[in-house]
Amino acid sequence: MALREVYKPKDITEVLQLLDKYKDKGKIIAGGTDLIIDLKERAIDPEVLIDIATLEELKGIAFKGSYIEIGAATTFAEMMDHVITKEKTPALVKAARSIGSPQIRNTATIGGNICNASPAADMLPVLLALDASIILKDLEGEKTILLEQVLKGKGKIDIERNQLLSYVKFKAPVDGEGLSFEKLGFRKALAIAKIALGVFVEVENNKCKEIRIGSGAIHNRAIRESKIEDYFRGKILSDAVIEEGSELFQEEVRERLINRSSGEFKREAIKGIFTTAMKTALSTIKS
Amino acid sequence: MKEIKLKVNHKDYHVAIEEDMRLLDLLRNRLNLTGTKEGCGEGECGACTVIMDGITVNSCMVMAFQAENREIFTIEGLEKGGRLDPIQQAFLDEGAVQCGFCTPGMVLSAKALLDKNPKPTREEIREGISGNLCRCTGYNKIVDAIEKASEYRKEE
Amino acid sequence: MKLHVVGQNNMRVDAAAKVTGKALYPEDVSLEGMFIGKTLRSHKPHACITIDTSRAEAMEGVVKVLTYKDVPHNHYGVLMKDHEVFCSEKVRRIGDPIAFVVAVDEEVASKALAKIKVEYRELKAVFDPEVAMHQDAPKLHGESNIVYHYKLRQGDIEKGLEESAVVVENTYVTPMVDHVFLQPEAGVAHMEKDTIVVTTATQYPHFDQLEIAEALEVEKEKVKVINAAVGGAFGGREDITLQIHLALATKLTGKPVKAVYSREESFIAHAKRHAMVMTYKTGADEEGKLKAMEARIIGDTGAYASWAINIMRKAGVHATGPYEIPNVKVDSYAVYTNNPFGGAMRGFGATQPPIAHEQQMDMLAEALNIDPISIRLTNAFKIGSKTATGQILKDSVPLRQCIEAVAEKLGFSVVSRGV
Repeated sequence: MALREVYKPKDITEVLQLLDKYKDKGKIIAGGTDLIIDLKERAIDPEVLIDIATLEELKGIAFKGSYIEIGAATTFAEMMDHVITKEKTPALVKAARSIGSPQIRNTATIGGNICNASPAADMLPVLLALDASIILKDLEGEKTILLEQVLKGKGKIDIERNQLLSYVKFKAPVDGEGLSFEKLGFRKALAIAKIALGVFVEVENNKCKEIRIGSGAIHNRAIRESKIEDYFRGKILSDAVIEEGSELFQEEVRERLINRSSGEFKREAIKGIFTTAMKTALSTIKS
Repeated sequence: MKEIKLKVNHKDYHVAIEEDMRLLDLLRNRLNLTGTKEGCGEGECGACTVIMDGITVNSCMVMAFQAENREIFTIEGLEKGGRLDPIQQAFLDEGAVQCGFCTPGMVLSAKALLDKNPKPTREEIREGISGNLCRCTGYNKIVDAIEKASEYRKEE
Repeated sequence: MKLHVVGQNNMRVDAAAKVTGKALYPEDVSLEGMFIGKTLRSHKPHACITIDTSRAEAMEGVVKVLTYKDVPHNHYGVLMKDHEVFCSEKVRRIGDPIAFVVAVDEEVASKALAKIKVEYRELKAVFDPEVAMHQDAPKLHGESNIVYHYKLRQGDIEKGLEESAVVVENTYVTPMVDHVFLQPEAGVAHMEKDTIVVTTATQYPHFDQLEIAEALEVEKEKVKVINAAVGGAFGGREDITLQIHLALATKLTGKPVKAVYSREESFIAHAKRHAMVMTYKTGADEEGKLKAMEARIIGDTGAYASWAINIMRKAGVHATGPYEIPNVKVDSYAVYTNNPFGGAMRGFGATQPPIAHEQQMDMLAEALNIDPISIRLTNAFKIGSKTATGQILKDSVPLRQCIEAVAEKLGFSVVSRGV
């Protein structure tokens, strides 16, 4: 590590000034649970670290009209314990609970999970299913952009070096809408997802009006499974339809992971994980 | 080098740190609190667990400068007036100590759990220590000890 | 008679120190003015090497760079002295120690490692123990890669197989396994007048003393090994790792020297449970009574022998499992390859064969339409049984009670057939 300076700014403005000053040499640290390993392995080599872990402005969960907003420095433990996430998005709580260990959930943040852009990031599939947006701030102001549009590949995210991810927002699910999260890991704790899925589904007159499927660990980044979504839209979500959709998903995974050692396993596993995710999402719909 | 202030085991410290130092290095090498152990250096094993502002963290995954103005508890801070904490006593009484390398982290995870949930189920205890590995495979005894610690704390 | 230990709840002597964080593991020991040591290890599995340490030695803060040239007697090992303290001409596995930098602090030591130049002239390597057994395979040490061949012959194997109603034959493969003891290797060495003191965590302090003394060509009495608190071992601390490096460093510099391995270095530094390839042929009569068992067990001991002889003998002795079998033929081998070296780990060779013999039992049961509990009870050792090695079991053979207790807990109703 060749760190020269480390900062604990007192507010967002100071963070933005530091980012602007150091640009490529600066790096934001929050929970640090991925970043410190990268520093140790010299996968990254910043000169300056800017700590936002305790910035109150970047923490917390709140309603804004029909939207839920989650501050970027909110930890997974905080998401698991908050009345809003517990009541409105149990699937998001489930995703948070599936991450790492108590120690990691106590420090790792939703913003970190997004910015680290791991293909297996646990939070991203549900956030994609929720069609979440992220709010980026810089000294000029702020802009809102869909999460899906910034995820570019393994560890690649389209955020400028002078921008700060300040919070995440999405519409709280309402009557007629369901949400689920399913993860396949090899053990209960400290397991990296082999497959993670988030499913949002809206049913009207018994038919699937809208569906959004976010997936993790079956592409070079977390993505929306648009082909599978298209299949379901407008259909009655019977067991037979879900079965056919899950077979379509299998075929999709087979083609995508054709030369990967995990391909055969994931192709089999996706069917069960997806079926469970679909049925759970449907079961959470309140009428 | 950078000067920071922090509180460790009820004591205020003013200490010079290197920018690239981890909280673990600060505790072990600067403050000589070697009860906090390094087993993996990447947050898998939990041997370096400490309590920071009331919650457990892996001190190998916190930079020292991030600990500025924060309050830390390590295994050395648990005894009160030369008397063992009930959790430490329960670990002794239940034979939950083998090689001992996971013990400081286990005890601190148990403390954070019991502070929040004084009467956990065995399942909740297992969840509470799921970030701490014991390679001597002493988990059953450790869970027994945390159950017993919950009783001891009630009696106090 | 009053018993003081049996039946009493005694406290471990070190438990209080361990729950309070006061117990000192070797990395917790720091001595005034100590240097830090770091090991340079091979990146190639099999290669001839030439080493140039001059650039590292010229660095400010570097006290000394140890290589094979500094070791009076450059050999050690628990059974066969096939390890070199530092590789002289050839590396035989990834992770073989080549040099040891002694520097004023860790940062300098790490930078100095990068300045040591090692030229590798790669040799053909062998990673499959079955291939390594062939005469034309690349050799690790000497003329043959076969370190050891254990033979067990009991009765007449051909006749036994002929008399069997069913014979099942399969090959089972188990992987190498790491102990992952929670405390990575660490140690501090210092001089007490002319005595070398090494404080470390080891399973074998008296033998470490001997090996250090031999390598340094000093009297045994001039070496003291102090066992600090040991953070787990499970067999993985039976072989020497950093003990001789530290002893030599303190002897040559006169100052205390400390080394602490990272988890990654720990993985490549110490032995592994032997990977085994086990080919079994087992025959039984109509009633499920075992008639014959033939086993060929190949243990991959990697680049060094360590305890391979004892371990592969144990695997061979235990090859039948806890069953009476009149006709037995076992051939068990320990074979060098360019893999990480195999050594002691919980069970010491007795752990792998059950994976084979128990699946054989299940397959025999299936072929004979007998339940898996009954076939085991039919053949289980009892008092008076003779093992394949000729041992008569005279007392305490509670296997039957154990199997029955398991069956009961499983809710398994045993269909007795000729038991």
